[in-house]
Amino acid sequence: MYAQAFFVAVFGLAAIGFGVVVFRTSSMVRSALALLFSQTAVGCMFLAMQTEFLGVLQIMMMATEMSIMAIFMVMFMMDPGGMGGMDMTHQKRFSIGAGVVAAGVAIVVAFWADWGPVTAEAPDAAMQTRALGIELLGRSMLIFETAGVTILTAMIAATAVAIPVQTTANSADKEDTE
Amino acid sequence: MTLVLIVALVTGAILFGIGVYGALSQTNLVMIMMGVELILAGALVNLVAFWRFLHPESYSGQMFVLVVMTVMAVEMAVGFGVAIARFRAKGSVEMEEAGDLKG
Repeated sequence: MYAQAFFVAVFGLAAIGFGVVVFRTSSMVRSALALLFSQTAVGCMFLAMQTEFLGVLQIMMMATEMSIMAIFMVMFMMDPGGMGGMDMTHQKRFSIGAGVVAAGVAIVVAFWADWGPVTAEAPDAAMQTRALGIELLGRSMLIFETAGVTILTAMIAATAVAIPVQTTANSADKEDTE
Repeated sequence: MTLVLIVALVTGAILFGIGVYGALSQTNLVMIMMGVELILAGALVNLVAFWRFLHPESYSGQMFVLVVMTVMAVEMAVGFGVAIARFRAKGSVEMEEAGDLKG
């Protein structure tokens, strides 16, 4: 029990530490990498809590997602390397206040709520994966299918939004240059 | 065992707080999305802890985690789509310069 608490705490501290680095560094690429490490630490917390399938899924998904985010950072930021020391923040005091209040309220609830009896034993990894598969293709199939269709819709919507709009003025400009 | 649950919940709460700070304080669209990712990561930690320590017999908890992961992926896809459109139209994804989007 203490070993589990130790590892959950260590990975939790790593997730929080890298989470702070995301908004502390002036280099945006470093921010993306810090977020990758933070999300990986969250995945390791899942592994420490004996939720193997979701832990591996979190690490694999976030590794891909944050690599793409780093590429977008380089594409869109005015100063991706942070060499110019630009300040990219606003309403700092209000944001710090909101963050502290949000975290504080959640911590107070965590300590004061009556969580009821806590289970010591978790099903083993193979059993969990099997039971989750049955859940996905059984009782929760509609939710699972809805999630899949939502991702497909988002992919199509994102591609449609990203394609440049061909207006008459644009076409005329293009013809002029040719 | 309650100790591990409390450690996980406090970690989730702090990640949520950092995410709220990031989403409110950053001026760049991609950095705001990073804040939202941290908020959702905090929610994920709580969901996994609740499943593991309170209801390991019910797999609806793990299903909920998959739904939140879907929300993360959708948020990234739509966010980057909007970022590309905005960058193409205005040459920047700075939210300070996006006052014209106000309704």
